Amino acid sequence: MPAATDLTQRGALVTGADLDIGRGLAAALAGAGARVVALGPCADERVMSVAGDIGSPDGAGDVIARASGALGTTVDVVVHAMHPMGDATAAPSSFADVTDAAWDATWERTMRSTLFLFQAAFPAMRDGGFGRFVVVTPTLSMSGAPGLAPLAAAVEGQRLLAKSAARQWGAHGITVNCIAPAPELALEGVSAASVSLAAPALGRAGDPRADLGPVVTFLASEAAHFVTGATLCVDGGVWMAP
Amino acid sequence: MTGLDGRVAIVTGAGQGVGRGIALAMAERGARVVIAARRAQTGDPVVDEISARGGEAVCIVTDVTRRDDVAACVDAAVARFGALHVMIHNAFRGGVAHRLEDAGADVWEQNSRTAVWGSFFCAQLAYPHLRDAGARGRLILVTSPAGVEGSANIPLYAPVKAAQRAIAKSLAREWGPHGITVNCIAPVAETPALAHAFASNPTLKERLEARTPLGRVGDAERDIGSVAAFLASDDAGYVTGQTIVCDGGSFTGL
Repeated sequence: MPAATDLTQRGALVTGADLDIGRGLAAALAGAGARVVALGPCADERVMSVAGDIGSPDGAGDVIARASGALGTTVDVVVHAMHPMGDATAAPSSFADVTDAAWDATWERTMRSTLFLFQAAFPAMRDGGFGRFVVVTPTLSMSGAPGLAPLAAAVEGQRLLAKSAARQWGAHGITVNCIAPAPELALEGVSAASVSLAAPALGRAGDPRADLGPVVTFLASEAAHFVTGATLCVDGGVWMAP
Repeated sequence: MTGLDGRVAIVTGAGQGVGRGIALAMAERGARVVIAARRAQTGDPVVDEISARGGEAVCIVTDVTRRDDVAACVDAAVARFGALHVMIHNAFRGGVAHRLEDAGADVWEQNSRTAVWGSFFCAQLAYPHLRDAGARGRLILVTSPAGVEGSANIPLYAPVKAAQRAIAKSLAREWGPHGITVNCIAPVAETPALAHAFASNPTLKERLEARTPLGRVGDAERDIGSVAAFLASDDAGYVTGQTIVCDGGSFTGL
């Protein structure tokens, strides 16, 4: 009998695998036996890749269909590690200078694409009686961050979208959780200093594959079937609330 | 009672429900209050109520989803009363029950516009005046316990209310050096929306009261307005980035 954290037979889609964190998580899932497809390029030979844009319901539907085609199975696991939309880098700027266009790009596009991705992946998970969503939500949404209010709003919105989805979809065997890494690990251009919290108890921000990967693998697995709506902080011991 | 003499406050969505309760409580303690309501038909009677009690208020018709409207409201407040110390964004439209898998762009839009875009506009446009107010500057966003615990009935309500908390925490950090405080209130109170829900679901009131340690639904002025007035006062000058849940003790997760 395979271990409860074995992901053989599972098909997983990872967004944001063009960056270190998504790539690391995709590699960890593949290492646990899952078939893994990335949205966009991913520099890992075990990870397949599909193109697409989840910014519209149709686009998200296409992405799920292509991912399923590439996997040769249903998409059972969605790991949403895509950098919140907007500027590619998250250089802090004064709230007084945030334009409507920037607010739209960060808040609206991040939230809509996350919602569309969830909706597109839902039917097959419901029909299969098994589903796992894991959203990467850097801790700055819980701490707040000066100069990064739009980003914090978008990430916290994603985190609560996950909780609501967990509440509505639990009866179908679908769990929805978040992992919260150190901001500098998940968001290009954000330094730990900009959120001025404590130093990590474990002495480092962490490595996506080695430190975060096992946690995502666990949440994606059968072993975590009774964990939903949770946020696991995987930041080496910086943010410790509650 | 915590005094607000000399303070000028804008309260959005003050034509009814929680906003009205906050406006009444603020005025009762001496604040001059701008009733920012989407319709004068709801805003004017609140002004009359405040005037009848000897307070000072004015209604400015404002749609918080429009930047120009919020800008005009802020300008009118300053023109009328000479300053703006307190911005309280409470207005919300949405909250209609839905299934997440079926929610279309319209459901999303409805929840996002007033709560999140409204917070963005109210915070940004009030900021120059809050900065001038220094240690008296206050931004208060009215959120919901759903913004912390998620919602099985109105799933898209939770993320927009959560975003308000993240905005408040971020601005508390960003604006702290000016002395401005930024906080949230998460109320459960008697409002027209809740009355409507009670009417269409006869057992809801009973169930809500049964799960509430204090055994009743809050009163918008006495139970919620009083907390807003406290946060607006000098007494709360060292409280920032926080959410005060005013729900009779149902939610204890913070």
